[in-house]
Amino acid sequence: MSEMVLELDDVSLSYSSKKTTFDGGVHKVLDSVSFKLYEGETLGVVGRNGCGKTTILRLMAGILAPSRGQVRMHPHKNAALLTLGLGFKPELSGRDNALLAAMYQGASRPVAESFLEGIKEFSELGDSFEEPVKTYSSGMKSRLGFTTALKTHIDILLIDEILSVGDAHFRAKAEAAMKDRIGGDQTVVFVSHSDGQVQELCDRAIWIHEGRINAEGATADVLKAYRKHIKSIKNR
Amino acid sequence: MGLRADASKFFLGYIWWVLEPLLYVGVFYVVFNIVLESKRSDFLVFLMCGKLAFIWFSKTVMQASNSIIENKGLIGKLNIPKTLFPMSVIQQGVYKQLVVFLLLFAVLIVGGYPVSLTWLWLIPVLVVNYLMIVACAFIGSCLVCLVRDFSLFISLGMIFMMFTSGIFWDVRDLGDPYKTEMVLALNPLAFLLDAYRQVLMEQTAPDLVHLLEIGVVSCVIIFVMVRIMRKTSQYLALRALTA
Repeated sequence: MSEMVLELDDVSLSYSSKKTTFDGGVHKVLDSVSFKLYEGETLGVVGRNGCGKTTILRLMAGILAPSRGQVRMHPHKNAALLTLGLGFKPELSGRDNALLAAMYQGASRPVAESFLEGIKEFSELGDSFEEPVKTYSSGMKSRLGFTTALKTHIDILLIDEILSVGDAHFRAKAEAAMKDRIGGDQTVVFVSHSDGQVQELCDRAIWIHEGRINAEGATADVLKAYRKHIKSIKNR
Repeated sequence: MGLRADASKFFLGYIWWVLEPLLYVGVFYVVFNIVLESKRSDFLVFLMCGKLAFIWFSKTVMQASNSIIENKGLIGKLNIPKTLFPMSVIQQGVYKQLVVFLLLFAVLIVGGYPVSLTWLWLIPVLVVNYLMIVACAFIGSCLVCLVRDFSLFISLGMIFMMFTSGIFWDVRDLGDPYKTEMVLALNPLAFLLDAYRQVLMEQTAPDLVHLLEIGVVSCVIIFVMVRIMRKTSQYLALRALTA
């Protein structure tokens, strides 16, 4: 098997929330989660809303620290979390936002600038690229967000529900571009509650349920268990 | 790096940044010179020297205090140094203040105050003022990130500072020299505002030892805060995201 790039070892995350919660205010997001990520693979993470998927990505990106356990990262790799458009500054143009986003991901200014034309072209924003983001529709914003993420180079891509964006034409294009990158030696962690996309894109999958790993292994097996679970909820 | 783009945001509302402090000065002028009839003939200039520098301090520190929690969208996406957020607010404040100070100089020159080499003392005063802003902004942003309620205390604290820093009254005019000493010693902001007036209006150098003391203390606070914020970066992120 290829080299391990990232490992979560018995990771738990909890925090004290408002005093009004009945469990003494401690909110447990993740509970003893362990898994490994290997170079070049695409790992899918499925689970229902609020099960801790995004938190896992944040731990992997080093944004949050676990309250127990360890997150080990290959020393020369960087990981970046791609979500949609939250970091946009509405007063700035699409171009400036793309530049900022690229720079936040660690690119120097000239390198970031070299991405811009590619971003403009792929996102198909045309003249809107020079206009303030506050004039964008939500679809346009997500196009910009996705393209910026796609065109800047990152060792480990952590993708949070990003493919459910834009109109049908752009989504198809985004998925194709994503597959292209995944097909290469890009390491990807792909989070979604849509099992279809996970099935299509991922080599391996884990299913998170209420902060714990419920199933782990080949995508098809994990998704089968996950779908069964979803069905059982419906039938209840 | 991201600061440069923030600056472009500032140029959009460009006129407002100058107009707002001037309106504040106007309000104070009406209240204290026209309604309460200040004894000073140079009240407008006196007020401007104090008020404009004070607004720089108070606005920057208050905005910077909320800067970490306001950027939780970005914090949830990237592990970036949390000092970046207050710093970005501070740098925007510096650009703003540059224009405001130029306006102040223009008023001084028109008002017949001689431009002399003493004005060079303004440089250390400005630097120390800046360092003090950074120190307070770092502390404020951490406190508000940990417990939101601090944001209210900071606003209240600013009102307190506004009344105790000698903006519309002269620290040197309290009648009791001991009292003047106390205010200057205990309130670094009162000392700085007075230093501006000493340099710009009285053509005298400020108390350099005192100035240096404030500068050094600010530097130590900044150094310690940067270390703390670097160490607790992920904890601050958790607080910003969950609280």
